[in-house]
Amino acid sequence: MAQSEKQRSVLRINLDILNAVRDEGDAKPTHILYKANLSHERLVKYLDDLMAKGLIEVKQDGENRTYNLTTKGVSFLIEMRRAESFVQGFGLAI
Amino acid sequence: MGRERPRMATGALISFTLNILCAVVALLTSYYAYKVNRLVGNQVIGAISLGFMLLGVGLAVDASTTLFSGRTLVQFSSRVLVQFASFTYLTVQMVAYLVIAIGYARAVYGSQQRPVAPAVIVTAAAVGLYRFSLLSYFVVLILLAFVVFQGLLIRSGQNTKFSAMVLLAFGLILIAHVVLLASVLTLGPVLFLIGTGIQFLGFLSLLIFVVRSEVVGPK
Repeated sequence: MAQSEKQRSVLRINLDILNAVRDEGDAKPTHILYKANLSHERLVKYLDDLMAKGLIEVKQDGENRTYNLTTKGVSFLIEMRRAESFVQGFGLAI
Repeated sequence: MGRERPRMATGALISFTLNILCAVVALLTSYYAYKVNRLVGNQVIGAISLGFMLLGVGLAVDASTTLFSGRTLVQFSSRVLVQFASFTYLTVQMVAYLVIAIGYARAVYGSQQRPVAPAVIVTAAAVGLYRFSLLSYFVVLILLAFVVFQGLLIRSGQNTKFSAMVLLAFGLILIAHVVLLASVLTLGPVLFLIGTGIQFLGFLSLLIFVVRSEVVGPK
């Protein structure tokens, strides 16, 4: 479960979004919004940011927009998972 | 007398091996902390990286000193070099644990902590090596006790296997320093080797943590 939006760092929010996209596969914005616990306005901003960084890609099918992780996004999540394990060892959180 | 020298050389070799292995683990931990810090940009992890780097360098210096002093302590020039190296190691070790302790304090209390130990180190530099050894082991003991206490506080709020491994590592290093302090007080070589052995077990626990956190893949 995502932490409340107030306490989360930008990195944590990005990770929550990436995890939501990975879990769903062809993830719809409503699903990501629910999983990452964000307002629609903020979600759009974060998604644009992640696309600019090449971590996710958008697929447009008529009216429907879905998101997927890119190869770079998958690698980033793996690296972050390792980093999170290390950080937890010293009692910290991302 | 004839039996004393080979025994001393064997002890020095064991101590050298254990300390070199500890140095490698400390430098490896420092490297991973550096890598993680580049990803997450966390000051505490930065402090831990710096602390373990200093510790790794200090342990390597100490290991070399042990091997060197075990063989060539009879020469005056070597003795001066050994004293200088020991002094360097003890100072670096204190600074390393101080940096780690500050990192832990920041993790628990935020960033208002002010370091007090540098003043202790500067004062310590004015006294002889034996007294300095005693003082440094005592300071390191206090710093390690603080780190273990913070670790326990953290663990009460975040019960993960990774924090348990780090806590076990620091706990063993703390016990090792109690034994090492006793060895300095009694000038006991056997106690010194036992302390070095326990310290090695602490670093082994740290190595398991680093390897485990590195191989954990995505959920």
